[in-house]
Amino acid sequence: MTNSLADHLRALPDQALAALLQQRPDLVVPVPTDLAALAIRAQSRVSVARVLDSLDRFTLQVLDAARLTRDAAADTTSLDVILAMAAANARPPDPAAVREAVRLLRSRLLLYGPDEHLHVIGGIDEISPYPAGLGRPAAELDSRAAALCADPAKLRRTLLSAPPSARAILDRLAAGPPVGSVPPGALQAPPLGAEDVLPPDPTNGGPPTGSPVRWLVDHRLLVSVTTGGGGRPGTVELPREVGLLLRRDTGTLGPMPTDPPQVAAPPREPKAVDSAGAGQTMEVVRQAEALLEQLAAEPASVLRSGGLGVRDLRRLARALGLDEPTAALLLETAHAAGLTGELEAPGIAAPRAGAEQQVLPSAGYEAWRAGSLAQRWEQLARAWLTMTRQPGLVGKRDDRDRPITVLSPEAERAGAPIGRQTALGVLADLEPATAPTPDEVLELLDWRAPRRSRGREAAHREVLTEAATLGVTGLGALTSYGRLLLAATAGEQRDADDPLGLHADGEPSTAVRALDGLLPAPVDHFLVQADLTVVVPGPADPPLAAELDVVAEHESAGGASVHRVTPASVRRALDAGYSADDLHGLFARRSRTPVPQGLTYLVDDVARRHGGLRVGATGAYLRSDDEALLGEVLADRRLEVLALRRLAPTVLVTPGPVNRMLATLREAGYAPVPEDTTGAAVLTRPRTRRAPARSPGTAARIVDPATAPRLPMPRLLGMVEQIRRGDAATRAAQRAPASLRGQEGAGTAHRHTDALAVLQQAVRDKALVWVGYVDAHGATASRLVRPVSIGAGYLRAEDERTEMLHTFALHRVAAAVLAD
Amino acid sequence: MSGGPLIVQSDKTLLLEIEHPDSQACRLAIAPFAELERSPEHVHTYRLTPLGLWNARAAGHDAEGVVNALITYSRYPVPHALLVDVAETMDRYGRLQLINDPAHGLVLRAVDRVVLIEVAKSKKLAGMLGTKLDDDTIAVHPSERGRLKQALLKLGWPAEDLAGYVNGEAHPIELAEAGGDGGKPWTLRSYQREAVEAFWAGGSGVVVLPCGAGKTLVGAAAMAEAKATTLILVTNTVAGRQWKRELVARTSLTEAEIGEYSGERKEIRPVTIATYQVLTSRRGGAFTHLDLFGARDWGLVVYDEVHLLPAPIFRFTADLQARRRLGLTATLVREDGREGDVFSLIGPKRYDAPWKDIEQQGWIAPARCTEVRVTLTEAERMAYATAEAEERYRMAATTRTKLPVVKALLDRHPGEQTLVIGGYIDQLHQLGEYLDAPIVQGSTTNRERERLFDAFRSGELRTLVISKVGNFSIDLPEAAVAVQVSGTFGSRQEEAQRLGRVLRPKADGRQAHFYTVVSRDTIDTEYAAHRQRFLAEQGYAYTIVDADDVLGPSLPSVD
Repeated sequence: MTNSLADHLRALPDQALAALLQQRPDLVVPVPTDLAALAIRAQSRVSVARVLDSLDRFTLQVLDAARLTRDAAADTTSLDVILAMAAANARPPDPAAVREAVRLLRSRLLLYGPDEHLHVIGGIDEISPYPAGLGRPAAELDSRAAALCADPAKLRRTLLSAPPSARAILDRLAAGPPVGSVPPGALQAPPLGAEDVLPPDPTNGGPPTGSPVRWLVDHRLLVSVTTGGGGRPGTVELPREVGLLLRRDTGTLGPMPTDPPQVAAPPREPKAVDSAGAGQTMEVVRQAEALLEQLAAEPASVLRSGGLGVRDLRRLARALGLDEPTAALLLETAHAAGLTGELEAPGIAAPRAGAEQQVLPSAGYEAWRAGSLAQRWEQLARAWLTMTRQPGLVGKRDDRDRPITVLSPEAERAGAPIGRQTALGVLADLEPATAPTPDEVLELLDWRAPRRSRGREAAHREVLTEAATLGVTGLGALTSYGRLLLAATAGEQRDADDPLGLHADGEPSTAVRALDGLLPAPVDHFLVQADLTVVVPGPADPPLAAELDVVAEHESAGGASVHRVTPASVRRALDAGYSADDLHGLFARRSRTPVPQGLTYLVDDVARRHGGLRVGATGAYLRSDDEALLGEVLADRRLEVLALRRLAPTVLVTPGPVNRMLATLREAGYAPVPEDTTGAAVLTRPRTRRAPARSPGTAARIVDPATAPRLPMPRLLGMVEQIRRGDAATRAAQRAPASLRGQEGAGTAHRHTDALAVLQQAVRDKALVWVGYVDAHGATASRLVRPVSIGAGYLRAEDERTEMLHTFALHRVAAAVLAD
Repeated sequence: MSGGPLIVQSDKTLLLEIEHPDSQACRLAIAPFAELERSPEHVHTYRLTPLGLWNARAAGHDAEGVVNALITYSRYPVPHALLVDVAETMDRYGRLQLINDPAHGLVLRAVDRVVLIEVAKSKKLAGMLGTKLDDDTIAVHPSERGRLKQALLKLGWPAEDLAGYVNGEAHPIELAEAGGDGGKPWTLRSYQREAVEAFWAGGSGVVVLPCGAGKTLVGAAAMAEAKATTLILVTNTVAGRQWKRELVARTSLTEAEIGEYSGERKEIRPVTIATYQVLTSRRGGAFTHLDLFGARDWGLVVYDEVHLLPAPIFRFTADLQARRRLGLTATLVREDGREGDVFSLIGPKRYDAPWKDIEQQGWIAPARCTEVRVTLTEAERMAYATAEAEERYRMAATTRTKLPVVKALLDRHPGEQTLVIGGYIDQLHQLGEYLDAPIVQGSTTNRERERLFDAFRSGELRTLVISKVGNFSIDLPEAAVAVQVSGTFGSRQEEAQRLGRVLRPKADGRQAHFYTVVSRDTIDTEYAAHRQRFLAEQGYAYTIVDADDVLGPSLPSVD
């Protein structure tokens, strides 16, 4: 077959071959050496799977038809047979559509050959073994099943006689996939004698079947593929003929819609969609900024397993008034956009390995903040579209049942950008401002690329929710600027191949320009009202926002912002260096409405009291009730070094320390008296230097030996016993043979072998042995013991003197000599 | 960008720019579902609350309309998330219904079964729900109707109350617009008519109108609408008598049909006016006058000055859910923050008019609010500086320096009827002596009060010094100048009520003056700023003047 495909390729004109390579670009990476290699590659599992992934449901169904209609002998099919099969469907599709699908399959090299002898490319059967969810022909499975299938009347009779529970199983398998697993033991016959006590059929009290699966297998309607003994589940397969018979009513291939499902709702007003989306972009940019500010104020710590703790996420969400999934999305997006980064926590380095890491706004945040609203949004949205993260996983549990935290490696999904591109691509392909429900989007995805979208429904739903949160969609439809951004990022992925980066940079993208047109222009004025609120009727110009941050408390944000001037905020402004006149000027300049009198009074009142108390640091003060004396001191040129300043008529201060002031004043002939914090005079006398006190070294009492207390008898007896035992030990040690003591010397190994023999003999004879050994500290010692046993590298022996059982490691035993 | 007058904020406040040409249309569009929070001179603030949205649903507005109004009038794009939130919130209303089942009486019926299962499990509803009749219906004891509604509201699943109201004992009441008893013909003002209609359409609720805007007439018109026996709850006896006078003059009711139920008299008649005080008076720990609620089959209960409703009355009101309830107030700010209870037990706010709007229509007198700042003498400053924290306000508010200032203020308005209002009795006595004016205080007998008020109304008496008793419900139409010398700390509604004393429209349409005398650089100023907040939010801009300017060039000698 490979040869025939290679031959087919060889026969193709260059143009057609180029077109094929364009359709399947992966075939030329790297460029194959010859057409035979190309043919092999075209049939490889990976390449075929890739082509199948890109096909819509209808085309796949036509491919299934082609596979099912293959002639067993020649392994080919023909266009006519395929058309006939499609026409046999309950609602036959347009033959033209079928032809078109066949043409498409041919152009992708999934089918090849002339119309009368269409070949299906190899490799497909490996990827999807069951075309259209039908099992293998009975002939391939089991000869007895094949015999049953060969007799249609008998097959139909058997089918009709199936009990309801068995029929239910058949229907499930007929809908595909045609393979089912059965619990272990279900296929075995019931124990002898128990056949009569089988329970009735559970579904509607039919005749007892025992296990319905066993009934089916016994009647050859199912074929057991693996028997599954030994506790493992077995598998059964529905033969193709039985499946086809069961599908009689719906048609072999099931419903075959040639067109994608339609969206029920009529398109919305494009302006309304854009407007809702633009509103959301303002909101999300504001929320992201608030989130980052919150992080700057209180950075979140990185867990050791990566990511931020659940508690940190909850705190951030609460501070922003968001729910946790949205906060997680914002954090992930901001991180992907390079707005946050990790830094070692300040302060003392943690004693543990590696300092604690914190997540906080990065340097990129400043640049981001300086951008226009649309630019800021674009940076976020672009990061979201292209990031390989799936924020929807945050809060769920991973395979090991551990919670997935935000920014943790567990939320990494390489397929996430493609998933977004696909899901939003569905919206992009619809009429502008069409707003399908999420279910409709999933249905569309399922039609467009069933192999790619099955099993990813949850991820796709998340994409739609996130797109709404980020303002990429509005009212459920893709916004005009979102469409532009989507196109731009799709293009970007192609550009990534272009290492030279020729595309112009720094110029706002089309999406930014489109969004800019929708967003309100910044305003540089506000309205001041009698209740001391300041309303900025639009997004504040950055200089204005900075001014208001200082002089007023923030009250409400959104399209506009509301601030309130309070005594505290005015004080803050004064502290920040504004004067009362500056504030009046600021309000007069920025306000579109006359400044209310209350505000003027408030500013003046606070300003009047501001600075009424002064705080400073000083080294020492000099006070005196005699103002003239202080005047004299101040004028004294000898005291210039003190840099005295008059705080009040009766107080002078110096930045220097008290001692210096005292010494200098005394030198100059004054008689100052120092005082302490309570104002009491501190008297000083010159002190002589002394070393620190120490306790006397000798004993406190002199003990006369003659008057020493007598020791009690029991204690004395104890001492005696101790002494005796020590003595015995010494003597015993002296008695140890010389051969034992002088171990050092050549032939240690030899002696070790001897020692073992001696010990083994001693165990048998229950004799006393001198054992010389090396203890844990490397010192040699010897001991008189009676060996008890030898085993597992250890010698167990009893020391008769201490009546203890000792264990010696045999490798430590250096010598052994029988005691005499 | 539509350039509309409305700015939608992400914290669900709506900013309405007044100078915008579309502002009036926008106000009408958003009024049904957004609550007016502040109405200063340039930008009014409305707020979207779940309660407001549910009330709008109850009144027949749907989410589509709300979203549409927001989008139509919004100047800037409205965040998608906010629109979704509005729609979802409104969708929660009416999933549960309270209805009258012919067989089982009052039942809670679910339109959405899951919601019923969810709320039935809630601990907060324990004991309020009866037996389960079927999957969608649970019996409710009629006495738990109010509490159940309140609890469901807190759970976020407000029930639609379709059980209706009892009509009560019928009693003919008509508005005497032709001017019976020799009075002049008159008609209900447009906003009063709107308020009554809004109330009647909703069945129960609160009407908020400025002081002096004729809330009594709204009550009378509601009674004429109900044509049933009515219980009117008022703050004190004098206010009760005013109600009676007004009802006799403006309706077909005669003196004999109106009973007074107070500390002095215990009459129960088709229309009965009772004071909060007598209802909440206890003997031996038991409320002895509660029978009044069951004394007749009342068709309507009117709560005057509902912002002062005492806590026990809340509990009785919970049992009265089958009767129509009308709450009247000028300032729905409760310093105890129980506005939510007022809404859930009496009913939602049915009508609200900014003070300045009514003023523009000429129904209340235009008023100038002035804050006069007096500077304490050195001795007083020193005494203030060293006073205990709890004595400071009293010290600052009752300083003697205020006396000549008050006198100077009165001298500015010769021939005007003037009220001097204060919170501290000692200070009022000083003022009484200094100004040579009679004092009305808590200990003044009702007879004496009536006499003094009558003398004041007739113009015999030019100046009256009143204590806190004058905060509410005294009708002194010709009072044109009020001077406030001290108050209950930072109470916003007290300030508004006191201003209300001079807001009754004057015969010649002249301006009213409201002065508040404040000691500079003391806690008095801080409290004053807080007190003024409500009025500032209603658009009354205070002018600040120095006492020295009031006193004129020559400084007076104080003692």
